[in-house]
Amino acid sequence: MLKNSLYSNIYLPFIIVGIFLVQSCQTSEPVDFSTQIKPILNNKCITCHGGVKKNGGFSLLFESEAFADTKSGKPAIIRGDASGSEFIKRLHEDDPELRMPYEKPKLSDEEIDLLTRWVNQGAKWGEHWAYSLPNKVEIPSIPSEASFTTNLAADFLQNNIDNFILAKLNSENLTPNEPAEKNILARRAALDITGLPPSLDLMKAFENGNLSFEYYIDSLFNKKSYGEKWATWWLDLARYADSKGYEKDMERSIWQYRDWVIKAFNKDMPYDQFTIEQLAGDLLPDPSIDQLIATAFHRNTMNNDEGGTDDEEYRVATVIDRINTTFATWQSTTMECVQCHSHPYDPFTHKDYYKLMAFFNNTRDEDTPSESPVLKFYNPVQQKKVENVLNWITKYGTKESLKTYKDFILFTEPVYKSHFFKEFKNSVYDDHASVVFWDDGNLIAENIFTNKANYVYLNYRSHYNGTKMTIRKNNAQGKILAEFYINKSKENTTARFALNEINEKTDLYIETQNNSVAKEVNILNLYWIGFIEDMPGKNQTGWSSINSDFIELLNAPTETVPILAENPNYMKRTTQIFDRGSFMSKTDTVEPGTPKSLNEFKSEWPQNRLGLSQWIVDKKNPLTARTLVNRVWHQIYGRGLVSTIEDIGSQSDSPSHPALLDWLALRFMNEHKWSIKVLIKEILLSGTYKQKSKSTPEMHILDPGNELYARGPRIRLGAEAIRDQALAVSGILSDKMYGPSVMPPQPDGVWQTVYNGSQWEESKGEDRYRRGIYTYLKRTSPYPSFLTFDAGSREVCTIRRTVTNTPLQALVTLNDPVFLEAAYQLAKKNEVTGDIKESISAAYERATYSKIETSSLEALYELYQNSLSTFNEDPNATNEFLHFDENPTAELSALTIVANAIMNLDEFLTKG
Amino acid sequence: MKDLIDKLIQEKLAREAEAKTRRHFIKNCAQGIGGLALSSIFAGCDPLSSSPKKTQAAFSERDLNPLATLAPPYSSKVKSVIYLHMAGAPSQLEMFDYKPELQKFDGQDCPQSLLEGKKFAFIKGTPKLMGPQAKFKQEGESGNWVSDYMPHFKKVVDDVAFLKAVHTDQFNHGPAQLFMHTGSARLGRPSIGSWATYGLGSVNQNLPGFVVLTSGGNTPDAGKSVWGSGFLPSVYQGVQCRSKGDPVLYIKDPDGVTRNLKKSTIEAINKINKQEYLKYADPEILARINQYEMAYRMQIAVPEVMNINNESDNIKQMYGVEPGKESFANNCLLARKLVEDGVRFVQLFDWGWDTHGNIRSGSIDMGLRNKCREIDRPITALLLDLKQRGLLDETLVVWGGEFGRTPMQENRGNKKMAYKGRDHHGDAFTMWMAGGGIKKGACHGKTDDIGFSGIEGKVSVHDVHATILQQLGFDHEQFTYEFQGRNFRLTDVEGEVIKEILA
Repeated sequence: MLKNSLYSNIYLPFIIVGIFLVQSCQTSEPVDFSTQIKPILNNKCITCHGGVKKNGGFSLLFESEAFADTKSGKPAIIRGDASGSEFIKRLHEDDPELRMPYEKPKLSDEEIDLLTRWVNQGAKWGEHWAYSLPNKVEIPSIPSEASFTTNLAADFLQNNIDNFILAKLNSENLTPNEPAEKNILARRAALDITGLPPSLDLMKAFENGNLSFEYYIDSLFNKKSYGEKWATWWLDLARYADSKGYEKDMERSIWQYRDWVIKAFNKDMPYDQFTIEQLAGDLLPDPSIDQLIATAFHRNTMNNDEGGTDDEEYRVATVIDRINTTFATWQSTTMECVQCHSHPYDPFTHKDYYKLMAFFNNTRDEDTPSESPVLKFYNPVQQKKVENVLNWITKYGTKESLKTYKDFILFTEPVYKSHFFKEFKNSVYDDHASVVFWDDGNLIAENIFTNKANYVYLNYRSHYNGTKMTIRKNNAQGKILAEFYINKSKENTTARFALNEINEKTDLYIETQNNSVAKEVNILNLYWIGFIEDMPGKNQTGWSSINSDFIELLNAPTETVPILAENPNYMKRTTQIFDRGSFMSKTDTVEPGTPKSLNEFKSEWPQNRLGLSQWIVDKKNPLTARTLVNRVWHQIYGRGLVSTIEDIGSQSDSPSHPALLDWLALRFMNEHKWSIKVLIKEILLSGTYKQKSKSTPEMHILDPGNELYARGPRIRLGAEAIRDQALAVSGILSDKMYGPSVMPPQPDGVWQTVYNGSQWEESKGEDRYRRGIYTYLKRTSPYPSFLTFDAGSREVCTIRRTVTNTPLQALVTLNDPVFLEAAYQLAKKNEVTGDIKESISAAYERATYSKIETSSLEALYELYQNSLSTFNEDPNATNEFLHFDENPTAELSALTIVANAIMNLDEFLTKG
Repeated sequence: MKDLIDKLIQEKLAREAEAKTRRHFIKNCAQGIGGLALSSIFAGCDPLSSSPKKTQAAFSERDLNPLATLAPPYSSKVKSVIYLHMAGAPSQLEMFDYKPELQKFDGQDCPQSLLEGKKFAFIKGTPKLMGPQAKFKQEGESGNWVSDYMPHFKKVVDDVAFLKAVHTDQFNHGPAQLFMHTGSARLGRPSIGSWATYGLGSVNQNLPGFVVLTSGGNTPDAGKSVWGSGFLPSVYQGVQCRSKGDPVLYIKDPDGVTRNLKKSTIEAINKINKQEYLKYADPEILARINQYEMAYRMQIAVPEVMNINNESDNIKQMYGVEPGKESFANNCLLARKLVEDGVRFVQLFDWGWDTHGNIRSGSIDMGLRNKCREIDRPITALLLDLKQRGLLDETLVVWGGEFGRTPMQENRGNKKMAYKGRDHHGDAFTMWMAGGGIKKGACHGKTDDIGFSGIEGKVSVHDVHATILQQLGFDHEQFTYEFQGRNFRLTDVEGEVIKEILA
């Protein structure tokens, strides 16, 4: 909420001031760099003496820079000698031209004192806490003379999390709330685990005491809806959407990835594996189809099909997005700044960025409209042929040839795409996809490796019969490598033609002749050319039919999903540093590598995305586990232990409970073996979680953001959950899972995108009532009510949905036909003939899982009576309002109005 | 009921003011890093400022209502902005940037020196130069050039200040529009309108603070991100108001529901929510109560302001409106009504300016003339109407596209095209501003003889943004929002106020 961003960090000054007071009395006390010095440097010095500017040749970003010679020829900091250090002297200067910070207020006496003592004590440099992880964290013991009664303490202390929370509460002289009522807790936990309110049976079993809380939440964890709820969170990070983005924003079929995420959560795939498969599933030995689908994580980047765009520019934009998203998602680190210059305050250099880019710079995707490589899903008949071909190669070929053919069958790479062709004569690169040949047309394909193949594969669409194509080595005068005729083809066709074997990289000259066609007429569109080693087993019977099976598969239409595929060695791109971040001005070449300030990159890891993902989930990485536990905590409490969930680094807020953060992180890796379910379960089983969320105005002043956890979480539900809950309590939610995204009703005229004929086609039957995660997301025009409730357009990685509170939200839940239909169903299903108050109470309890209070009942009863008389006065209004009911009555109309009001209550919209 | 809520709010404000004053002061002044724009630019942070309490009250009010009005850090007369964007990029060479020399080179090959190192969206090989297709005249006392594509515009030419040498580094529509509206060609940054409403709130609480109106049959190429709030809270994103269907999505009561019934519904909801607040003491509940009341009022105010039928015939004719349709003329009139009613930022997008010459409607000699006809009268009327109502001084009007067009004729696919067209060109193009403290009849910047590059008074997109913020009372370098550990600005690390066009 706005408030958090306004008031985040408010405790930090107190802590610092507190330290000053204590320290100034004990001058011999050693100064700590990370907690006492680094914050001053970051806030007061580093803008001019850091990663961007190094005024006077002096930077305080890295230790080596801080103690190096400055422009004056001498170092500014002399260890052990504050009075001899320019760094300290300049703080005392009277001349405003010399006094630092330049043109800013003088540092406080306490700050100067701290810096002076630090230099005198030897100016020991240290790491920021975020860049190292302790080996072990002690669980605070709670003294028996705790500040509140032992009874309450026993209630509160449910697991070790509570020791950390209570220790801090004790130090602030605060006591936690008592445990929440069972019904409240049951709803809270169900919303947190499944994103839905609990089923009535399960809820009753828990309320009756037939199920312990642990069993209750276990049964929620076992529901498939768990995966849907937590995948919604992950898909924000993955920037998952059903369209490609940018101007044309055409449809992209990538829902298989969404389903992969749901399934991964449901089977509780360990987070290290979850990470590796998404970042580098394609580089695992003999990857499964699922592992290939997982790599679509980084194919959720946008693809620019706008006319006149440079594919290479947008391929680079994609690579940059992958670096930034990887670091935002796994490391709580903003790498965007480092694209143009060294990080202003975190220990990452400009070069680090491009070393990271080198990991991502070698995938086959090149911003083409086809989005190749796309993984093909063959139907059972086709699949049989796939197996025939692969069995053949297993029998007669090598391991390498098996991989080559398998890859080509699955995603038709590597191939050379037409946007790299050059020197067009009577041919032209037709924006994006293909090269158009006229009669006597020719061009050059540069630097091609034909893989010693005896065939060339072409993908084309030919508009005439009898076009002769000639391929020569080097140029128009070169040796003829292939000569063949192409006939008319309705669809894009992949075909192969005989080629003379060559064994080196060469330019190819490609020419078309068709004398029967007029000049400047489009004879054929060529999309790509490819060369793979010949099918093995040439002398065996059946070779030809295996080859035709293979060609048939290449032309078979299938469902697809975009995936990552690595360049073969002969197509590898070199990665160069971009001067000031511009892809047009390239400088030094770099090799893949990870920032020195983080964990070591082990020599046994490959220097590719797989190695990078292993580095990320290495237990020595200080940020991966902390990032994950912090964000899971944020999902549950609406704030992170480090409240800046986007950023864990030298500019982030200090953790509210640093030891708890580290304890959870270590436990997540070591004891829980990266199990997200176990992590969530542990948080939910704590006394901290089970507290009442009630508060007082005084408590809100003391702790507005609930940073101390003296009360349970109370936050508004997310966009999808608000809709899902309304459909669930009114009994119309479909539990159908997976598959292409659906289009529930939305107002007319919302979709209006240029050059794109696609329409919002309202889904039929139960597809209208699916969970929000299955709603079609078009990036330039997302589902309007979700947008209003703070869901984003998923064009880039979204770490936080800032929760807002606006009148437009009220209009959605009051007037959107989806919510009216839910209200109608809720009313109808809870109508108790002849007893209005009973009907209202039942509807209220069904929606909120709480018994209605008298004052609320009175208010709603009054609303009912008002509504009833209005509808009685105008029977037409009844017919209009409940137009979908066969025999609408004024009574049901009035009760529907009441149900609509119930579904707009704060209690309903909030997880309390 | 209203009384009790007011009392609760008052109590809450008083308590919070007490608690927060100290904290804020310490955080923002002692530590000196603003958690967000307002804390660093606001009076409370300035040690010389007298009244931190007032600041605190403003902050607290914002908790309840994120669009509560805030004073800018520097005094400014400008209350609103109307930004007219011609999506697709209009040709400056046929509208305002008169290049008689270009006519002399008409049909000749473009010199290689101009093409070296340049990238174009569609032009291939060596294109030919193409002279202006419109006739130009100097108009008004300022003597600024206007073409015969814009015959009405001469009436207001002395009110506007031209920027003749604006440049952008983007030459594809989507990224260039994003850059023009968010200061970045990549997604994820807030739009100008979002920054403005975030910094200033909105005067009229019954209307959205940032309204978007589109015409030309399509939304802009870059999609809704051009009015998105990026990393700012989504409450600051633009709200699209429509001429067809509900003016704002879901604003219409369901069929059969009367206004009174909606009133009773909201009263019941708020009554119960009030009980909820007494139980939980969560200020979000107070905010929700407030938002439901606003929603109710908005349901009346929005259809009212979006209805142009009640305007006098005189006014309707002046703008050339077509009630019931979606048109740029209607949107200009709506823009006036909206700023008159206290909307902070009104953003118009008119689609259909991409004149490549591949189709008739996209030709420089015919299609562009028609598009100009669609905007000439309404824009002239808008400026005159604002002026006659005394609103022009407090309303900044900005006009432009996402880039300009080449002095060369487009030769897509290295072929002669069906119609006369020009390709995308970011090196030099024309924008103008009017009202809101802008110098009348000014002309800043100059392009070379054929209009290819700026040679004097070059200004960047960031400079345009810095100027808009300046007119609203912000120093663009101080107006920041902390996100992912970094202070973000609309102008990133660039931008200079274009002082030459300020009154």
